[in-house]
Amino acid sequence: MPSSAGDVLRARGLVKQYKRVRAVDGVDLTVGAGERVALLGPNGAGKTTTLLMLLGVVTPDEGWVEIAEHRLPRHRSAAAAHVGFAAGYLPLPERLRVREFLHLFGQLYGLHDPKPQIDAGLTRFGITHLADAMGNELSSGQRTLIGVVKAALHSPALLILDEPTASLDPDVALKVRTGLNRLCADNGTALLVTSHNMVEVERMCDRVVFISQGHVVADGRPGEVAARFGRDDLEGVFLHLAEEPQERRHERRRPRVRRRSGA
Amino acid sequence: MSWLRIRAVARRHAYVLQRAPQRWFDVIIWPVVDAVMFGAIGVYFARQSGAGAKGAGFLLAGILLFHVVFQAEVSLATGFMEETWSRNLLNLLVTPLREGEYVAGVVLFGLAKLALGVSTVALVALGLFAFNVTDIGLALVPIVGLLLVVGWAVGLIVIALILRVGQGAEILAWGLLAMLMPLSGIFYPVSALPGFLQPLGTALPTTHIFVAARTVLEGDALPWDELAIAAVGTAVLAVGALWFVVRMLAVFRSRGYISRHV
Repeated sequence: MPSSAGDVLRARGLVKQYKRVRAVDGVDLTVGAGERVALLGPNGAGKTTTLLMLLGVVTPDEGWVEIAEHRLPRHRSAAAAHVGFAAGYLPLPERLRVREFLHLFGQLYGLHDPKPQIDAGLTRFGITHLADAMGNELSSGQRTLIGVVKAALHSPALLILDEPTASLDPDVALKVRTGLNRLCADNGTALLVTSHNMVEVERMCDRVVFISQGHVVADGRPGEVAARFGRDDLEGVFLHLAEEPQERRHERRRPRVRRRSGA
Repeated sequence: MSWLRIRAVARRHAYVLQRAPQRWFDVIIWPVVDAVMFGAIGVYFARQSGAGAKGAGFLLAGILLFHVVFQAEVSLATGFMEETWSRNLLNLLVTPLREGEYVAGVVLFGLAKLALGVSTVALVALGLFAFNVTDIGLALVPIVGLLLVVGWAVGLIVIALILRVGQGAEILAWGLLAMLMPLSGIFYPVSALPGFLQPLGTALPTTHIFVAARTVLEGDALPWDELAIAAVGTAVLAVGALWFVVRMLAVFRSRGYISRHV
C-alpha cells in the first residue's frame, strides 16, 4: 500500500447494512497518487456500494472516507472536485447534445470555459465527430466514452469507473483502455476501476483489491494475488471467490433436505 | 454557493424546455385553458345574477395568482423529476454541486417559466375579459412574493417525497396543488367550505394571501393583519419544507436509494 502522504483516497472501516444484507463489512481502501487500482469481486460482493460510499452518494453506517484530504460527508463538495466518476450503465440525458452535456458538467466541476478541455477529451478518445450528437442517438459504447470524457474534464486526481467496459465490443473497450492509459500517463490521474474482465484489469492496473461478501480478501499486485490463492491468473481467483459462497449456500441447504426426507 | 454551478443548472433546464414540447403545456396551454375557463364561468354567473363584472374579476384574479404558486411549484418539482427521468441523478450527486446550488439553479430557471406562465394568464384575462391584474396595484408585490415562497416550499416537499418513496410520489407535484386550490379558497372565502374543512383552510397561508388579494380587488386597503398571518404561515411552511427535504436526503443517502434511479 502507498504511504499516506501521497494518497488521493483513504477509506477505513466502511460498513453498510441494508435491510437484510450486510453489503460492505469493514472495508479499508487506499489509492495513492497516480496509482491504478482495480476493485474486483463477484456480483453482490459489495463493489458498487463501496464506490458509492467513496463518492459520498451513500452514507456508510461506520467508517470514514477522505479524498485529497477532504473528509466526507462534511467536505463532500470540495472532495468531489478532485474526483471524476463514470459508469457503463449510466445514460446521457436525452435532451442534451454531447457538447452541451460536457459543458454542463465542466461548469459543475468549476471550469468557467470548458471548451478546450471538451475538445481535448473528445480528441483523446477519438470521438470528435460525436460533439453535436444528441444523447439518445449514441450507442452504449459511445455513451461510455462520453461518460469517461465527462469524468476527466476537470483533470481530477482520481478517476472512479464502475464497469466502464461492460457489454462493449472489444474495439470500443480497447478505445476506452487506450484513452484511459493516455489520460493517466499524461495527467498522473489515479484510477479506481471495477470490472469483470480480468484480462483488462491485468493490462490496466498496478494493484487489485478483491472483495467478497463485503470483505477485502486480497490486496496486492495482480501476479502476487493470483499466487496467494494458488491460481495462475486473476480469472482463477475470481472464479474461486465466485464459487465459494455457492458452496456455502449448498452446505446450508443440505440439512433441510435431510430433515424433509427423514420426516 | 457557486454562481457558475447555479447558472449551469439553470441552463440545463432551459435546454430541456427548448427540446420538450410537452413541457410547454404547463407554461402556456394550461394557463390559457384556466384563464378562458374561469373567465367564462365568471362572466356567465355575473350575467345570471346581474352582479356585473366583479365576479369574473374575482375568478380571474384567483386563478392568475394561483398560477404563481403553480408555476413556482411545478417548475421546481418537474426540474428535479427531469433528473430522475433521464437517470442523471447519480451524475449530479458525484459532482461538487451542492443541494442549495441545485435548487437555486432550478428556481432561477423556474422564474423565467413563471414569468411566461403568469403573463399568459394575465394577457388572456386582459384580452378576452378586460381584467387587468395590475389594478391590484403595489399590493401585488407582497402577495406574489408570498405565493412564490409557498410554491417553492410545496416543490421541496414533493422532491423530499420522491427522494423517500421514489418516482411513485411524482403525481403529488400536481396532486398537492389540486388539494391546496380548494382548501385555500382562491375564489371564495373559507366560510364557503364544508365546516370540517374550514379549520384546515384557515391554517393554510395561501388562504390569507387570497383574502388579502380579494380585499384589495374590492377597493379596500391592503389588510396587513391577513398578510402578517400569511407571512408567518409561509415562513413556517418554508422552514418545515427545508427541514423535510434535508432529512429525506439524509435518508436517501443512508438507505442507498440512488439504486432506484440508475
